[in-house]
Amino acid sequence: MSIIVNKDTKLIVQGITGREGAFHTEQMIQYGTNVVAGVTPGKGGQTKLGVPVFDTVREAMDETGANTSVIFVPAKFTPAGVHEAIDAGVQTVITIAEHVPVHDMMTCYHLAKMKGVRLFGPNSFGIISPGQSMAGFMPHGIFSSGSVGILSRSATCYETVFMMSNAGLGQSTCIGVGGDMIPGSAFVDLLDDFEQDEDTKAIVLIGEIGGSEEELAAQFIKDNVTKPVVAGIAGKTAPKGTSMGHAGAIVSADGTGSAENKEKVLKAEGVYIAQSTVHIVEILKELNV
Amino acid sequence: MKLLEYKAQDLFSKFDIPVMHGAVIDSTENVGEVIASSGLNYPVVVKAQVQVGGRGKAGGIQFADNAEQAQEIVEKLLFSDLKGLKVNKLYTVEKASPKKEWYLSIMLDRLTKCPLIIFSAMGGVDIEQVAKTDPEKILKIPVNPVLGITDYVVRYIVTKSGIGAHKDLRKLLENLYKMFMEQSCMLAEINPLVLDESGELIALDGKVDIDDSALYRLPEIAEFAKTLPVDPLVKEASDFNFLYIPIEKQGNIAVMSNGSGMLMSCIDLIFQKGMKVGAALDLGGGATAERIKEAVRIVLSNKDIDMLFISIFGGITRCDEVAGGVKLALEAMSEAKTVIMRIEGTNKKEGLEVLKSIKGGKVAAASSIPEGVQALYERSAK
Repeated sequence: MSIIVNKDTKLIVQGITGREGAFHTEQMIQYGTNVVAGVTPGKGGQTKLGVPVFDTVREAMDETGANTSVIFVPAKFTPAGVHEAIDAGVQTVITIAEHVPVHDMMTCYHLAKMKGVRLFGPNSFGIISPGQSMAGFMPHGIFSSGSVGILSRSATCYETVFMMSNAGLGQSTCIGVGGDMIPGSAFVDLLDDFEQDEDTKAIVLIGEIGGSEEELAAQFIKDNVTKPVVAGIAGKTAPKGTSMGHAGAIVSADGTGSAENKEKVLKAEGVYIAQSTVHIVEILKELNV
Repeated sequence: MKLLEYKAQDLFSKFDIPVMHGAVIDSTENVGEVIASSGLNYPVVVKAQVQVGGRGKAGGIQFADNAEQAQEIVEKLLFSDLKGLKVNKLYTVEKASPKKEWYLSIMLDRLTKCPLIIFSAMGGVDIEQVAKTDPEKILKIPVNPVLGITDYVVRYIVTKSGIGAHKDLRKLLENLYKMFMEQSCMLAEINPLVLDESGELIALDGKVDIDDSALYRLPEIAEFAKTLPVDPLVKEASDFNFLYIPIEKQGNIAVMSNGSGMLMSCIDLIFQKGMKVGAALDLGGGATAERIKEAVRIVLSNKDIDMLFISIFGGITRCDEVAGGVKLALEAMSEAKTVIMRIEGTNKKEGLEVLKSIKGGKVAAASSIPEGVQALYERSAK
């Protein structure tokens, strides 16, 4: 069945008339995604790429019965877009923009939790269930349908997916959790979805230095995940105290959030640790999933 | 964006957090007069304004009993190097007479996704030591962002730390929290928070770190950011909205990519091969050929860099735009530097066509990151 985004997804694109929004909406439609509405304030009543455009998310929801929204607006306007989607009753909200202020995401995170909304991103490429639907801007041509679920903190997973597909290892769902300090959903919020999903036979975690998402995932895997998990952590050689661009990817001087620590705790819970993208594919092949 | 002390103190005052009266000194002329006209009484403390920890131990904080001594200290400290950083400003305040020194900060906690108050009755320079030896002496209290500072948060701090009630503590917490929220702080720290002889609370020193992504709505802080000394290449890159990251001083390889995860993976592989990366540049998402041209020009203007590895997995970034940008940059350059380029994803075919059309033959395409790194390795060996 895959998770979060699938053939039942009815998608709203917030910012559908913008340069990036329009380009990637076209890609999503070509891929077979059911894009039911677009939202751009001031452009209600128009159509874009054959999709009706509304002034507000609430109107788009009322007219189309959408269940998911992807937000293609600049960082400055992203928090307001998230607030609007949550309040309009969208169940799954995916945010793309990078450089969204962390304080604003803190508010969005708590709003989503209060309303039981599944929020993804920011600084995420989105979500794709190959062969069914995509909500985001990933290069969809590299994906193939199969049984490996992927959670990634960065777009590094394109590499992994590309090699997996070439090796005949397809994906059930691939989710960009995003590289920011406060992601709407983290690894630990999504592992159980893959555990419950019949189509997923193995899980790949693509992590990076900084924060404690991988450590929390290890704890969760210990008690709740029976499927094999493979993890790769980027940033082993990143200089300490240097922000590598993702607000999240900062290793403090005492080594907290380091790749070594993450690998150690994941390994202790039986997670396979990969040293490179090639290695992830090798491990998956050995697992015979 | 870390604020220098004088700017942090200035921000504290704006939010009614009591600070010592102080003056900024940025010239060695007539130091005594500057201090007198600011209304400061001796003894005063002269503090170097540099963004580095352990500044006191490195000699960056000195005391003066009179104008003569102050003049001498300023001449020695101002424009000197402190732990590798140039001291462009000094901040001078009256010497405090603390009865007690506490530690108080609010940080954005990624675990609870809430502002986190950290308080310790054992404040002062050695707070990090306290964290190691007496972790139970450091209180951590998440603030529910819907509620803000509540009675029970203040009560918890007072009883648990044993400092006893103080008439101004709640007000101070509220003001610091207000500043933290309104100025999009990642960290707002007062250390030490001093209880002076007359029983008043004073923020004697502070650190404020503000989210760079929020600077667009904080014009005053954005102005301040412009006054800080930065690596000229970092500055130039940021003017185009790129992130330039200096890595190793002796590194001769630069890495450019669209996303920090990809950058880190590439750097990991290059280091594993025993080569040295001097700089990395994150293009972010959706760059056009014109902007890519600038990115290539900026990176290659670093004299230590003789090879550039570009890895693009185009999603929101389109491969043909990137290749077009590289072409524009290289054709405008007189010096031929090696560029290894790996492109995959959106509009890859068009991108490869553009690469083939680049004159001069210094650009090589690689079909994967490991292959690209191997190509760097072979060229390094020559």
